Amino acid sequence: MFNEKFGRNRRDNVWIIIMYALAVVFLLGFIFPYLYMLFSSFKPSADVISVHPTFFPKSWSIENYLKVFQTSDIGKFFANSFIAAAVSTIICLLLGSLASYAISRTSLSKFSNFLLILVLCLKMIPVSSIVVPIYSLVQQFGFYDYLPVLCIVYAGVNMPFVLWMMISFFKDVPRDLDEAAAVDGAGPFTAFFKVILPVVTPSLISTGIFTFLLSWNDFLIALLLTSSEAKTVPVALSEFLTSYSLDLGPMTGAAVLFSFPVIILSFFLQRYLVSGMLAGSVKG
Amino acid sequence: MAGKAAIKINGAHTGIAKPRKKRRMLSSTFDRKSLMLFFLPAGLFMAAFLLFPLLKLVYDSFFDVGDNYDGRTFVGLKNYIKAFTSQQFQADSWHTVVYVIVAVGVETVLGLALAVILTNKYKGFKAIRTFILSPLMIAPLVAGLVWKFMLSSQFGVVNVLLMKIGLIHSTDSILWLSDSRLALISCIIADVWLTTPFMMLMFLAGIQSIPDSLYESASVEGANKWQIITKIIIPNISGVLFSALVIRVIDAARTFDIIWAMTQGGPQGSSELLSVHIYKMLQRYGDVGYASAMAVIFIIVLIAITLITQLRQKRR
Repeated sequence: MFNEKFGRNRRDNVWIIIMYALAVVFLLGFIFPYLYMLFSSFKPSADVISVHPTFFPKSWSIENYLKVFQTSDIGKFFANSFIAAAVSTIICLLLGSLASYAISRTSLSKFSNFLLILVLCLKMIPVSSIVVPIYSLVQQFGFYDYLPVLCIVYAGVNMPFVLWMMISFFKDVPRDLDEAAAVDGAGPFTAFFKVILPVVTPSLISTGIFTFLLSWNDFLIALLLTSSEAKTVPVALSEFLTSYSLDLGPMTGAAVLFSFPVIILSFFLQRYLVSGMLAGSVKG
Repeated sequence: MAGKAAIKINGAHTGIAKPRKKRRMLSSTFDRKSLMLFFLPAGLFMAAFLLFPLLKLVYDSFFDVGDNYDGRTFVGLKNYIKAFTSQQFQADSWHTVVYVIVAVGVETVLGLALAVILTNKYKGFKAIRTFILSPLMIAPLVAGLVWKFMLSSQFGVVNVLLMKIGLIHSTDSILWLSDSRLALISCIIADVWLTTPFMMLMFLAGIQSIPDSLYESASVEGANKWQIITKIIIPNISGVLFSALVIRVIDAARTFDIIWAMTQGGPQGSSELLSVHIYKMLQRYGDVGYASAMAVIFIIVLIAITLITQLRQKRR
């Protein structure tokens, strides 16, 4: 159906033109918000909140970006966001792959099935409900606004997601590999690090990207657990739009800086994203 | 230790595994102890930041908890009764259901349409696909902020565009965020923009796994495009469709960041979802017992949906 070329007959040509038209309409719809944000960020601050907004800047300016850096510690918040996301991802991948490998290899046993269901249920818990108990736990130990704790909390909260994804990846690795390693005298730990882990590296990358973005994009946990020292970019972004100040210009600048790397990343890593999404769902 | 045991068992023979010393093997290479060793580190993290908070919610839901957690009295099911009879809880449950059905419905239809369009291998479609996917990984909070900015009644570009094409007279004739009839819809728009690409990606993968021979035999039999879509594509991606729906239903029901960025549940609670309501009650108003009871009800519903759909999926 979908492979014919132009010009076989008139009906096909009409169909192809409709396809192009629809594709372009959707394309414009989906990139408009992002482009609008991008162009707004290069307007002078006053034009961003003009009552007669234009799509393209009337005059180009980097005033918004300068303001972001002058009025807030945005560099530090970016560093915090990155460290929290990176460290939690490393913890998740290391511990998560161990756990999911073991579960994938024992999936016939009742106990392992229980763990699997438990993980699935934990994955469904809405963060907005458990973030307050987490906050009081962290507060109790005096770790409020402390970056290492944010890393650890992210690792815990994202762990079920990592397990769920990795289990389906490990299921695709033939068990013959383990058994061959065992015959050669390797225990489960050795077999895992020497034989299995190298095979699943692409899957680790997919999982890693998703886990990183889960933490990078988190707003609520950082909102409750941090105030100044460990504050992340989303929290800072939300503060541009409080009831006291409506600092839209710098907000657009910071939002672009925050999202642009992610969009570029998703362009280049689409292959990994697709396999990750499918693993997280279909085979689960 | 566990490793050594596995070596002995697996190394000592060539045929059937002979468990020694009563060690129960769960598979050819794993016994119970090594499963625990592998699972425990990750398990501890989940216990501390998921299981413990969850149990705390369950525990608190049976108490009347004073401000700042000083003093608590056991009240049995009072908080649950209060939740089920509270108008706000009912209204917010309704908002959540509307949000889920409308947002996921629109996303499914748009995602399916996009997948059918973009699975064509026409020139330029690959680039278009890449660009449509660009919202895929954006933070929900940023999506909310972007749309709040665009839908603003004072300097929003959406009303300006609508005015230019002659649909409305002045830029403030649609109050997207401050009209209580529109606020929830505005949030849904942001959600649709953010997650339709996900749906499209799932459906594209599904469509591409349909063997070409099915299309060929359909065109031999003279099926038209519409019949190919309804008779071949949709039935053949029903598995992917179902999984995508389950994921999205749960995610949409838990939506928080978008609502928080755009309306914080307002005006007059018209766009308040359960997740937002529970958070507000826990964080701002300090009614911990009541909020915990609502959270427990909410989580039970989400887990029930998950387990039921999981069972169905396994049976397929």
